[in-house]
Amino acid sequence: MRVMAQMGMVMNLDKCIGCHTCSVTCKQAWTNRAGTEYVWFNNVETRPGQGYPRRYEDQETWRGGWTLNSRGRLKLKAGGRVRKLLGIFASPVQPKLADYYEPWTYDYRTLIDAPLGDDFPVARPKSLITGEDTKITWSANWDDNLGGVSEQGHLDPIVQRVRQESEEKIKFDFQQTFMFYLPRICEHCLNPSCMASCPSGAIYKRAEDGIVLVDQDRCRGWRQCVTGCPYKKIYFNHKTGKAEKCTLCYPRIEVGLPTVCSETCVGRLRYLGLFLYDADRVTAAAATPNEKDLYAAQLDLILDPNDQQVIAAARQQGIPPDWLDAARRSPVYALAKTYKVALPLHPEYRTMPMVWYIPPLSPIVDLLRDQGHDAESPGVLFGAIRALRIPLEYLAELFTAGDVGEIERVLTVLAAMRAHMRNITLEQLQDDSIAASVGMTDQRIREMYRLLAIAKYNERYVIPTAHVEQAHELEELGCSLEYGPYEQPPLGEASGRPAPVAVETFHALRQRQTSDVSVSGEELRGRVNLLNWDGKGAPDGMFPKRREPA
Amino acid sequence: MPVITSPEWSGSETGGRRYAPFTVNVERLKPWHTLTGRMHFFLDHDWMRDLGEALPTYRPPLDMHRLFGEPTLGADGAKQVTVRYLTPHSKWSIHSEYQDNLFMLSLSRGGPTIWLSPADAAAIGVADNDWMECVNANGVLVGRAIVSHRMPEGVVYVHHAQERIIDVPKSEATGRRGGIHNSVTRLLVKPSHLIGGYAQLSYTFNYLGPTGNQRDIVSTIRRRSQEVEY
Repeated sequence: MRVMAQMGMVMNLDKCIGCHTCSVTCKQAWTNRAGTEYVWFNNVETRPGQGYPRRYEDQETWRGGWTLNSRGRLKLKAGGRVRKLLGIFASPVQPKLADYYEPWTYDYRTLIDAPLGDDFPVARPKSLITGEDTKITWSANWDDNLGGVSEQGHLDPIVQRVRQESEEKIKFDFQQTFMFYLPRICEHCLNPSCMASCPSGAIYKRAEDGIVLVDQDRCRGWRQCVTGCPYKKIYFNHKTGKAEKCTLCYPRIEVGLPTVCSETCVGRLRYLGLFLYDADRVTAAAATPNEKDLYAAQLDLILDPNDQQVIAAARQQGIPPDWLDAARRSPVYALAKTYKVALPLHPEYRTMPMVWYIPPLSPIVDLLRDQGHDAESPGVLFGAIRALRIPLEYLAELFTAGDVGEIERVLTVLAAMRAHMRNITLEQLQDDSIAASVGMTDQRIREMYRLLAIAKYNERYVIPTAHVEQAHELEELGCSLEYGPYEQPPLGEASGRPAPVAVETFHALRQRQTSDVSVSGEELRGRVNLLNWDGKGAPDGMFPKRREPA
Repeated sequence: MPVITSPEWSGSETGGRRYAPFTVNVERLKPWHTLTGRMHFFLDHDWMRDLGEALPTYRPPLDMHRLFGEPTLGADGAKQVTVRYLTPHSKWSIHSEYQDNLFMLSLSRGGPTIWLSPADAAAIGVADNDWMECVNANGVLVGRAIVSHRMPEGVVYVHHAQERIIDVPKSEATGRRGGIHNSVTRLLVKPSHLIGGYAQLSYTFNYLGPTGNQRDIVSTIRRRSQEVEY
């Protein structure tokens, strides 16, 4: 048993209202610069819908993720080394800009420069790629709220799969409308196929918290990772020629702050915390023969942080005590493993994704109420879960590799919680049979209810700070002179070899992350901030200021 | 419990309290501005009783054809259909909050849109994202079609207050700028709006105003040339 820690996320889809605050704040923080105009590390899709980029779940086309070879071993769906070498320059299998969307801006200048006329001036769309006039035909979220889905919904790969079994399951008809939102970030997989696809070894999974990152110095722009990732969450920056991806906001995570998308989530549907898992068994679990067993195999990798053996093994691996404490309080462990209501997105890709989802129950409740039923009474709700028009098959294709039984189980647990808590709220007799019917107790349902409904900030985000114990130790390795708080590698703190976290850098980082003012030019001395550099000219601080000859 | 604030909306009152209506009535026991001083639905004004509206009640939409000579609802044989024209709240803004920044436009369709049902779209030969026009006696609106089975037949949605200086072309109907959501609406005053100086029916800014019946409107929709001029 080799215990490792993984920072994971759970999103409760019942609470997502599709407001895109996460997308906007993420973009503002990370991809608001030239070369990444089309890039959304975080996006929110309306399902059914094609998603972003279009039809990314169609792995017959995009060849992302893993598959099993004839001997039952894992191999990249995009092919082995020979095949990848033959296509290394072309990198032929990846979405084109049109599959994402052609980013645009508007001719805003016209609004103030237009000559006096009979009509007020308007800003027409201009392509951000060519600079020419453009007609908008696709966007980062074209099918929002089922827009255009009656015409193009059949292109949703999940709709296609469900309809293969029965044409009747999904009809794009007013009376049978259903939808929900699916927010997506990088899955920070335990078995990342992007990392395995990279010919340069530029993608790495951090040993301490499992965050998957692209080393910008080692990336050579082969774009194999774009093909390799089945979630299409690695993007090619066409200005720098390198791959970029969601970083799980590691500079924030390191100082105990939640990611930007979590911090700003209006619905408070995101949870962040640690998983402990057995790294020795990941490959075997990912090679589970039957796709429908992959969810169980993935769950089985997650270790119990209260188990004495696990604790001992974790200590042996050097996981610090405060991390083990955080793992015991982890909300994501509770939702995924204890209550088993959170499911991984597309386990059949065999990447062991670490962003989990609680499937939506609300559409069912709303419909029952609209039909005049007592929507929260257990008898009505339990019976309705399978019978209703929101196809469990659709959710199953997303979260359980098509296993409808698991989806039904999770929705039944959520329904039981509503029914049980309603009884308590209305001061009716407590009916323990509801809890018992889903294998729970009153106590356990109340705990789950608290976590799902009223958990406060520090219960939803249990994030141990980086290496407080190790900082001093690392300092003693002879790095302290090289990495003071003001000394940075020539291209800024994200360049060069990773800086060990020392007390000075730790505090400097925290100060920058929590301060609400930007660093002024004068304070920039010796440090280069590339975050807002648009690729034109040399960024401030890259070179010493030229001295005027006396 | 601290209030979560944002640069756009603080929601925070003195001392980190959430904004909430009627706190002064509940906490300081100030009587409500009604005859009884309590909250109530019943309006015992003579005019309201004459109109049969002393209690909340259903009123069918006006017959715009008989009253104002608008076309009757439904298809008329030509490639146009007369539908109910609704201007609901947009998904991404409340009140005057600005929704049309570049990010939000990139996450939607980047310009003025009109939601309609597949049946109405088929009747006028419009496909998703085609330019179309809504016309009636009040004015004209140009926008792109969003065809969705989420919409019932006979109704179009034009979300409130889409930015009028972003991607709004000239209309075919008038040759002038293609309007905004309110170009095809007009204010219709109901007799009951004229009641004043009577308990809660006394005008105060932001407290009492006309009801939303100026949205009780019909409009004729049709496809237009796809080559738009700005």
